[in-house]
Amino acid sequence: MPSVRLPNLMKYYVDNQREIAVPAASVAELMDNLLAQYPALRPHLFDAQGSLRRHFNIFVNGANIRDLNGMDTPLAEGDKVLLMASAAGG
Amino acid sequence: MLPELSHEEILRYSRHLLIPEVGLDGQRKLKNSSVLVIGTGGLGSPVALYLAAAGVGRIGLVDYDVVDATNLQRQVIHGASTVGQLKVESARAKMLDLNADIQVDVYNEPFTSENAMRIARDYDVLIDGTDNFPTRYLSNDVAVFLGKPNVYGSIFRFDGQVSVFDARRGPCYRCLFPEPPPPGLVPTCAEGGVLGVLPGTIGTLQATEALKLLLGVGDPLIGKLLLYNALDMSFDFVTLKKNPKCRVCGPNADIHELIDYEEFCGVPGHDHEDGSAGADWDIEAPKLAAALSLDPSLFLLDVREPHELQISALPRALNIPLGQLASRLSELDSAREMVVFCKAGTRSARALELLVSAGFKKVKNLKGGINAWARDVDPTLPIY
Repeated sequence: MPSVRLPNLMKYYVDNQREIAVPAASVAELMDNLLAQYPALRPHLFDAQGSLRRHFNIFVNGANIRDLNGMDTPLAEGDKVLLMASAAGG
Repeated sequence: MLPELSHEEILRYSRHLLIPEVGLDGQRKLKNSSVLVIGTGGLGSPVALYLAAAGVGRIGLVDYDVVDATNLQRQVIHGASTVGQLKVESARAKMLDLNADIQVDVYNEPFTSENAMRIARDYDVLIDGTDNFPTRYLSNDVAVFLGKPNVYGSIFRFDGQVSVFDARRGPCYRCLFPEPPPPGLVPTCAEGGVLGVLPGTIGTLQATEALKLLLGVGDPLIGKLLLYNALDMSFDFVTLKKNPKCRVCGPNADIHELIDYEEFCGVPGHDHEDGSAGADWDIEAPKLAAALSLDPSLFLLDVREPHELQISALPRALNIPLGQLASRLSELDSAREMVVFCKAGTRSARALELLVSAGFKKVKNLKGGINAWARDVDPTLPIY
């Protein structure tokens, strides 16, 4: 099944895991299943209208889903999903 | 015409001259080039030191801050002897000690929409070593408008990001992040901390990319972004493309000049904590001490992370970390007077907003947090 890697900051909401295997056939399904399992993530990832917050980017095997099929991007066995948030520290 | 190197310079740069990709001509190119380092903190420290050592002819430093003791865990260009000095002056002295043949121009001022184009115009490469979102968007837009590469790095705890944004050849920062996070959702290093060596790792990568750009060698990190995690020792590369909807570098761009970046981001252009929720909601540490002596049962809510309580704590305070507050409101009595605090007052100000929006009315924010309490009321507690 595909796996998703979250920013370090998010690991507190997912039992300190960095990478989580999530059964899903698309990015949307992966997010649904991830949030069903870890509802505390929702306000961090999605705004009140249910859209992914715009300081997040989702990559599938290194490609931005914006350049693929967005949340409908299909996922296959072994695909690596990466959730990246902007960070300002310097 | 590239400048000549003196015999002393040839000796100094001997290890560069031996590399075919640099050689004598490359070193002369570096001597003829200029880099603006925006921010002289965690990232700016290694960037400025290594670019100075490498012989970049002119290096500009922008920072308005002074060196303080909490900087020294990671900002290695400064030292105990320069605490209290202007960061740009502290950094310049160290750079010139390392290499007196270069020129270091200092701008002891915040990088703002008013001065940014003037300051950045005469440099070949910009380096984003800032610590806040407004200045990151500003640095990006300046680079796009002036047609210069912006070597980007950012850090938080154990995570780092590096890329080269050059809108002429690839995406810009706004292509990737069209909007900043909502205020308060992403903690700063001042709130959340950062591993001291992390800016060393990320800053030296930024310095490497800058040298490659100046020399015109190798593959710059344009259209790619490196995500580094120190705990996993993982280096992940992702591909970035130009965003056709980008408001500064896309085909239908509608932002053609610098804007008000603090307004755009909803946060100030620095990562200092002012620790205030507004005059109506704040209580100063000495006033809280007086209130507690009259009513020792006054309810105190500590919204820091549990590990911070080992550093300093107030007796009888209930600890609910800010991230858990929304789901634990039922543990609190809205009829009771309450003072919320954290390290320096920023997280507690956010907690206060949350409490007020949930109907709590008798809430105050300890201005300046437990650090202000340690400074003004109980000096036996450490300040962190």
